[in-house]
Amino acid sequence: MKIKVILSVIAIIAGLAVGFYFFRPHTFHGTVIQSPEPSFDFTLTGPNGDVSLSDYRGKVVLIYFGYTFCPDICPGTLANVAQALRGMGTKADDVQLIMVSLDPERDTPEKLAEYMGHFHPSFIGVTGTKEQLDEVASLYGIFYQKTESSGASGYLIDHTATLMALDREGYMKLVFPFGVTSQEIADDLKYMLRQ
Amino acid sequence: MNKYVLNGLYTVIGIVVIAAFAFKVFQPIQVLPRMRLSPAYNFIDQDGQPLTSETLRGQFVLYSFTYTHCPAPCYNISDTMQEVQSRLGEVDLGSIPVSFVTISVDPDRDTPEVLNAYGKELGADFDQWRFVTTTNKALLKTIVGSGFETYYEDKGDGNFALDPGFVLVDGWGIIRAEYRYTTEVSDADRILRHLGVLAEEVQNSTGTAKLAYEAAHLFLCYAP
Repeated sequence: MKIKVILSVIAIIAGLAVGFYFFRPHTFHGTVIQSPEPSFDFTLTGPNGDVSLSDYRGKVVLIYFGYTFCPDICPGTLANVAQALRGMGTKADDVQLIMVSLDPERDTPEKLAEYMGHFHPSFIGVTGTKEQLDEVASLYGIFYQKTESSGASGYLIDHTATLMALDREGYMKLVFPFGVTSQEIADDLKYMLRQ
Repeated sequence: MNKYVLNGLYTVIGIVVIAAFAFKVFQPIQVLPRMRLSPAYNFIDQDGQPLTSETLRGQFVLYSFTYTHCPAPCYNISDTMQEVQSRLGEVDLGSIPVSFVTISVDPDRDTPEVLNAYGKELGADFDQWRFVTTTNKALLKTIVGSGFETYYEDKGDGNFALDPGFVLVDGWGIIRAEYRYTTEVSDADRILRHLGVLAEEVQNSTGTAKLAYEAAHLFLCYAP
């Protein structure tokens, strides 16, 4: 009888351990934000006219601030997100990346559309006036400033390089630090899409 | 099913449920909510030097809002800032620096020189406590009004309607606590307690301890 009890307990603990492994809570790679209100709903200029954040309610939205002359950080982040989406199959249809260009002098909507298309066909680039960009960037915690450069590009724009994920209702859910991998982004996006 | 298996299963489930209940009720770990991103800015300080949100990344920052012509209770807010600054030694912050930033909503009159004199009058240590503003009034309104959600309005007669308070931001640039001016206990006590809670979370932000802290966020174990 005692052996039966011991075996039963061992079997239950083993079963729970296996169950916990497969159904364990998701550990986000980005920092989770518990915002009680939707993120600031901006309207900026896209390739086909005005683009508002709220146009994408129902999708998980990734927001990134950059510019097309950005030498390394922006293309690296965009390539990572593109790779993450390609690995997600049809689930990627429910994810929208929006890059807000911080360089309205050089990044026309047409140029942005061409640049974003190099990474992923669904990516959208938007921009606006200096005043609009100051407002949007500040409210998304993005510091940016123009700095002189000796390179052919003329000037660079230093900027905060975080990638943000908003849930389907427009609430900020995650902030990814620079350097997050495509697999980590895909893991978090898939979990957000299941919710 | 074997009755021993069933009893064992019920016991384990019971333990898990009781553990989750106990975690929620007794809150062995307390955290501050990650409310929203702190607004980015590029201010000019009391010495005419730029102060940006990126400069303060990696530090805990306590913000307050005022204008130098503000009558009481604005000055009481500075009292709280001074008290928190002088009592920081009571909190185990590890190696995390703390900065204090007082934002003036009156850039017309609060030039760097005026802010410098104001800070000196308060006995502020400018290495740790900066007094800042920007002449870009539209952006100032965005940062203070929308970003920090602190109401102010220029009444046009030299006075401002201002809802004074404090905002605590962590090293990742996330707003973790907001304090309106009137609270039941001393603001300084509460702010110091919260700085300790934040520091403890940062010190336990890796490995298994991180999971426990994320569970505390999940169970809304928020520090009062």
